[in-house]
Amino acid sequence: MTYIARKSVHLIIAFFILIAISALPSLVVQTDFSLTNYWNGIQQQMDQLQKLEDITYYNITAQRYLPLLPALGPLVKESVIIFTTALAVSTSLGLMYAYFYYRSGRRVRTVLHQTSQTLEMVPDLFWLIFSQFLAITIHKSTGFDRIEVAGGFAEYIRFLPIVTLTLTTLFFFIKWLTIHIHEQEAIPYLELAQAKGIRPSGLFWKHLLPNIIYRFYLFFRSNIITILSTLLIVEYLFNVQGLFRFAVYNPQMEILLVILFVIYIPIFLFDLLIEWIIPNAWKGGI
Amino acid sequence: MRRVLIRDPIFIFCFVIVAGLLLMSFGNTVFRDGNVDQTLMLYSDEGRLIGIPPLEPSKYQWLGTDNAGYDLFQMLVEGFKWTVGICALVAFGRMVIGLLIGIPLAFRGARLNQFFKTLLDGFLILPISLIALMMLVGTLTFYDSTQVPPLWDRVKIELIVLVVLGLPAVTLYLITEIRQLLQQEFMIVAQTLGGSVWHRVRLHLFPHLVPTLVIVFMQQFVQTLMLLIHLSLFGIFFGGTVMLHEGIMPTVYEWSSMFGYYFRQFTAMTWMTNHLFLVPAMSLAALIFIFNLLTSRLERAFKLRRQEPVVTEASLAQSEAAAASLSNPFTLVDSTVSLRKEPDDIV
Repeated sequence: MTYIARKSVHLIIAFFILIAISALPSLVVQTDFSLTNYWNGIQQQMDQLQKLEDITYYNITAQRYLPLLPALGPLVKESVIIFTTALAVSTSLGLMYAYFYYRSGRRVRTVLHQTSQTLEMVPDLFWLIFSQFLAITIHKSTGFDRIEVAGGFAEYIRFLPIVTLTLTTLFFFIKWLTIHIHEQEAIPYLELAQAKGIRPSGLFWKHLLPNIIYRFYLFFRSNIITILSTLLIVEYLFNVQGLFRFAVYNPQMEILLVILFVIYIPIFLFDLLIEWIIPNAWKGGI
Repeated sequence: MRRVLIRDPIFIFCFVIVAGLLLMSFGNTVFRDGNVDQTLMLYSDEGRLIGIPPLEPSKYQWLGTDNAGYDLFQMLVEGFKWTVGICALVAFGRMVIGLLIGIPLAFRGARLNQFFKTLLDGFLILPISLIALMMLVGTLTFYDSTQVPPLWDRVKIELIVLVVLGLPAVTLYLITEIRQLLQQEFMIVAQTLGGSVWHRVRLHLFPHLVPTLVIVFMQQFVQTLMLLIHLSLFGIFFGGTVMLHEGIMPTVYEWSSMFGYYFRQFTAMTWMTNHLFLVPAMSLAALIFIFNLLTSRLERAFKLRRQEPVVTEASLAQSEAAAASLSNPFTLVDSTVSLRKEPDDIV
């Protein structure tokens, strides 16, 4: 009961904060800050929240203002497809890498560690340019034209955005996993399990992984802003018909408010789900 | 730590590149008044016209020229100090304000900190570049080039926005780090012995916080650079964007603005092979890579420092060992202060 009350308070506070964030554009007036204007902006956003169906955006193709909410569905779907696919692929690849790293000898580990560390330093911008460059080069040399390098109106582009986002997220995950494998190896429970005759694969999947999976989620959660930033730039540069690209082309406070809620609420629910699904023992409890 | 860094060839290499570029950039401002060579037409030795801008990279223009004939290499050199200066200023601002907010909060109870974390949770889900775009698009876009506000006003507002938007994440991180340090034994001892908060911060906390602050500074530097790149791709250049008939142009030629400016001149299929796009793009990617590398080498040096054995003088070590020994705890082992010679049974 306390947990539900605490989470409800959390959600209510977050709602107010999101409203305050969405009103931030009204804080800047020409080259100055205006608190009065910001307060008016917050009140305007509060009013807008009561009549969400009245929010409109300017549709360039139709040359007129259209209701926002029905138009948002396909955009959200596109962003979610790219985000979740990239996340699922990078998590799976990250865990496979972690297992391979765990089973490797000292020399292989050094090579893997140095390679992944170097690749992790490469900015997402480079992967973006590189993937497009690669697709164009393949097209020019082999005539293979199934890889789209940029989306257009009513044209979906998914492969390259997913690859770019996956690569950036993957190296991000790999760095964390490598550090935490080292950390876990220093704790005697693995030695005890090994002494009891558990095989190395069992050690990793049944003992080591459950101990780090919750912290891995917390790491992902606290760094989600970095992944979403990459998604934003990926959507913008690949011309993906997604939520973030839409926000860049329609920089209005009301639209920002809706987008903030659309992003925050699923993340909040997912947090609750993870808290509920993951057993206490995996969180370090008894 | 300094010794580790001086012996680290990768760190030295990256440091020399950054320092060299900075020196060249300031040198260009001091000795050449910040001028960039312009080649409107390229003639051969026989006086024949052999090229018009944009010129491809050659031995005369190492990285080629832009559409107006300005030498790209010289533009990069001239703009480097702006890019590094802006990012350093924003990173430093975030860190200092983060510390000013974070230290008093970290000393408070866990409940207040939890509340503060809940309060800032909303800031940690939306890309900063999107909010920055919405806050700055009206302020930094000018439709009339004759009515552009003074540079300082434009820069001031942009710097404040960039600092403030990154502040929640930095403050939360610093609070976590400080609270972890506060739980360490030496901090509890300092508190038990009656050290005031200011005393504990100054003498005990700060020296342990320095490595974290250096790393946070470097990370924030790269994040600010990424933010500037994102904004310039959206058409918001640092210091403002002037809308002209033929398109948009930046008011300050720093690297991220150059990248965004040239990027918008091409379509998806043409920019791949054009030096006007590739030169700023690769330079920015290399700069981010170098700063990430510097951060990683600094992290390594701090880690090695922690692992270094503590070297104490023999007499001091003996005194400590004697104090811990139960056989004869009151025997003086320092020969200089001993009243009579006794066999040394410590080692």
